[in-house]
Amino acid sequence: MAEHLAMPKSWNTETKPHKFCPGCGHGLVLKVLGEVIDELEIQDRMVFGVDIGCSLLAWDFFNVDTVQTHHGRTNPVMVGIKRANPKLLPIAYMGDGGGYAIGSQHLVNSAFRNEKIMAIVVNNCNYGMTGGQMSPTTLPGQKTETSPYGRDAKETGNPTLGPEMVAAIASPGAYVARASVSNMKQLKRFMKKAVENQIAGNGFSFLEVISSCPTNWRTNAKQTWAFMEEEMAKYFKTGELRTPDESKEG
Amino acid sequence: MRYLEAYVGEYASGKSENAINRALSLIDQGQQVSLIDLDLVEPFYTLRPLKKELEALGLEVVAWETRETMGLGEAGSILKPEMRWVLKRPGHVIIDVGYGVSGSDIFNLLEGFEESQLKILAVLNIARPMTSDTEEIIHYLEGFIRVDGLINNSHLGADTDLDIIRQGSDIVTEVSRRLGIPVVATTVDERFRGIMGEKDHHGNPVRYLKRYMERAFW
Amino acid sequence: MAEKPIQEEKRVFMTGNEVVAWAAVAAGADIMYGYPITPQNEIMHYWTRLAPKHGKKFLQTEDELSAGFTTLGGALAGRKSFSATAGPGTTLFQEPLSMAEMMRIPVVVIVQQRGGPSTATVIYSQQEVNMVTFGGNGEGWRVVYSTATHQELFDYTIKAFNTAWKYRFPTFILGDGYQAKMREPLVMYNPEDRGIEMIKPVASLGLPGTPGKDRDAVHLRNTYSVEEELYDATMPIQEDYEKMSKEVVEWDERNVDDADIIIISHGVVSRAAIAAMNRLREKGVKVGYFRPITLRPFPDEQLQKVAAKCSNFLLVESALGQLARLVKSALFNMPIDNFDTLYKPGVGVTAEELVQRIEKTIK
Repeated sequence: MAEHLAMPKSWNTETKPHKFCPGCGHGLVLKVLGEVIDELEIQDRMVFGVDIGCSLLAWDFFNVDTVQTHHGRTNPVMVGIKRANPKLLPIAYMGDGGGYAIGSQHLVNSAFRNEKIMAIVVNNCNYGMTGGQMSPTTLPGQKTETSPYGRDAKETGNPTLGPEMVAAIASPGAYVARASVSNMKQLKRFMKKAVENQIAGNGFSFLEVISSCPTNWRTNAKQTWAFMEEEMAKYFKTGELRTPDESKEG
Repeated sequence: MRYLEAYVGEYASGKSENAINRALSLIDQGQQVSLIDLDLVEPFYTLRPLKKELEALGLEVVAWETRETMGLGEAGSILKPEMRWVLKRPGHVIIDVGYGVSGSDIFNLLEGFEESQLKILAVLNIARPMTSDTEEIIHYLEGFIRVDGLINNSHLGADTDLDIIRQGSDIVTEVSRRLGIPVVATTVDERFRGIMGEKDHHGNPVRYLKRYMERAFW
Repeated sequence: MAEKPIQEEKRVFMTGNEVVAWAAVAAGADIMYGYPITPQNEIMHYWTRLAPKHGKKFLQTEDELSAGFTTLGGALAGRKSFSATAGPGTTLFQEPLSMAEMMRIPVVVIVQQRGGPSTATVIYSQQEVNMVTFGGNGEGWRVVYSTATHQELFDYTIKAFNTAWKYRFPTFILGDGYQAKMREPLVMYNPEDRGIEMIKPVASLGLPGTPGKDRDAVHLRNTYSVEEELYDATMPIQEDYEKMSKEVVEWDERNVDDADIIIISHGVVSRAAIAAMNRLREKGVKVGYFRPITLRPFPDEQLQKVAAKCSNFLLVESALGQLARLVKSALFNMPIDNFDTLYKPGVGVTAEELVQRIEKTIK
């Protein structure tokens, strides 16, 4: 029972152990989110929306009202809930495909309208659930099932810089940051500030989390860590890009 | 006397019908008349389908023609360039103004509006929910920089009876009294000719309308 | 407290789009989500004029996918939510509507049909029947009311909210560009004043109490792992749909008992069909009339009963056989004397041409 003591209260114990692959970053992101739910006592007000992709496995992860939507459509469902009942705190949870490819118009327009919801994009550089295809954030040269010779930036562009894009278009009051599961303390700080920003109703809250996918990367523990901290870090810089008071942690 | 008149009013209040009938009545007197379709919300809806028919009756119609448009309602410049200069045309100028939230700002698009003697006439149908009583009409008219005349065009289409016309006249006459804007006319369908006479029960002149718009769905 | 939207029953003169906006207010709709597309725009124009006066809301979204999914969100949050669209917008709506079917989310969508396929015209058609009845990757678990008059637009828009929230299937009002823009009189009323009980919406998410402590958390999904699991999840929905069908199915039939020929049509075209029937009856031609009001569920049994009396049909629609497909499915295995059709995709139908057509056939 020792590990249960470390479980956030808001976790749904009946669905643990969870179904993510060993070494997957989702468990860490959801651990941090669970702790933030507990600390800010929002379990009774939060609505969790999960996308298609590995994020879908979180559909019964928390003791929080949760709805699984369609691929890329979690943002608009959360927007619809918030607009209809502003007392609720909807959090959209998706991967880089749902956030930056099929759902990009919803992300962009949620940011433009400064919707008072929170969106979390877990970035692991590939479509993990469908078997490891190239995603918007696949690194140049990275091999995936649909970029078997490595991603050629001339053909398919460079990795999408989500937070930078959102920060460029967001309105005052927005919170935009990128964190990584390789730095849990920072992830926790940013996660908490993003949720607090939503509670305060300041504006759109957006957090990208650099995460790991050892299964599709075909990496051992050491290589996984190295890929996140060395390869991914080259493109995706962690830090706060927008805060409501414009003070930023780099 | 040269008439410069713009017919404004709520959506489906009868602006176009009034403008067409007014223009044709001046034609009947052997005069030169231009009829302008200044509807920027639904330009493809109002006078366009009737353009040819009205031109055959001697009107100069400034409106898009179907063959001049492409992707009706989807694309296309909405303000026909010559519309901008319509106040400079010779003869009478009758303008059919579309509905929309911009109210009388639409006149900013017409060259020479400020120094012109353009009369803005509000067409009112009390069977329209947002102009159904005195207060609603006064509130509605506040959206215009000025209104020079009121037209009671209260009707229920095929279900129109004398009651609705009289009630309309009561309300519009009351608005007239409170705002100091004259009632130019009570307008009614031709089938009431012989029943209504030349004046309504408040003494407002009655104008009879021939229906053109029912053939102009789009 | 916002004042009653309609003070008393009143005869008014309006366009169809305005009627829908007023009916939604009268039905107690809370929020509209929408994206501009002709010919439904005035629904949004008038909703946005009326909404703030009655404590209601509006969100203009980035596209129809978003309009559909935000509408689902609104209903999940327990608010009466609706949208309106047409043509290519209806195409995009299929995705969120399939989620509504699977998850039983009660949304109302008004479709004002325009010409198709593709961008086509903004004006008119009956070419969105396939889409509203059986669009999406599913089984057509929707209710579709096809209206013909402004009074019906008002009555059925109110009814659509009750149907949606009572049975929890997405519900359509299927109009068209002609109905949207046409002007005609109707009576507006508050449904409660007529003794129509409006069903209160209930929230699916964000319920009172702390999940895991005071109550179980709500976990909703539309994903299933294996065939049998999906089968077990969908068959009860089909049962509910079939049970509901008997209660919601609506149709109109006139002069069918002695008819030599029956005109089948739906929506605005049925106005021409009635006019043609009346003119021909005056001339002694025994014309009958059948009109499905619900296209989903379709009045199969009612049409079969009619076909048992007379099965010399003229089916007319402003599409290339979309209504005909529903009718033929209803009449499957019935002996049919004659099945004549008049298809005018994207073009209106007049009483005159129906009279001519029938006079030619009868001779």
